[in-house]
Amino acid sequence: MDKVSNHLHNRVPVYALIWIISYIGCLLTIKMLSIPPKAGIIVVIIPILTFSVFIYKFYRSIFFMDEVEIKLQMEAVVFAFVFSLLLIMSLSLLELMYILNKENWSYRHLVPIFIIFYFIGLFISRRKYNFTNEKHD
Amino acid sequence: MIKVERAKKNWTQAELAEKVGVSRQSINSIEIGKFIPSTILALKIAKTFETSVESIFQLDSTD
Repeated sequence: MDKVSNHLHNRVPVYALIWIISYIGCLLTIKMLSIPPKAGIIVVIIPILTFSVFIYKFYRSIFFMDEVEIKLQMEAVVFAFVFSLLLIMSLSLLELMYILNKENWSYRHLVPIFIIFYFIGLFISRRKYNFTNEKHD
Repeated sequence: MIKVERAKKNWTQAELAEKVGVSRQSINSIEIGKFIPSTILALKIAKTFETSVESIFQLDSTD
């Protein structure tokens, strides 16, 4: 792999980390500090911006991936998308029958679950193609 | 067959991966038959070994 590819591969987790930190920071700021709605919107924009940068960098890194890596990512995203959809569908149907406690179930609780779905998908896909760091020389 | 060709050249997976321009893990996936490469990648691998695609990739009885 060339230098540009390596550079992008190494930087994507950094942008992901920046987004996660900004998201948690935003969450804690809104929950703990009683900030006015207008200022709250500005706080909400911060993780949106960091997420946009992360997704852009991730998207750019796909161009430098080889075909096995692209397939792994594609399968992981498909897995995450399908299970996220299933979760939202199940929760929305449950909501029709029961009033879900907002403290127990809210959009913010879904974010880490979606991320977990992606990593489960990636794990399954890596196992499927034996894409491991184990050496077979 | 990649393993055989690799052994002939005395290359490691990492060395082959570098020559072909893919990751070592990808070479491993292809070598053990878990991933079927595209025509372009198959041609690149064959070119690296200075041989034909058919000598490296063959159809299984189940294909």
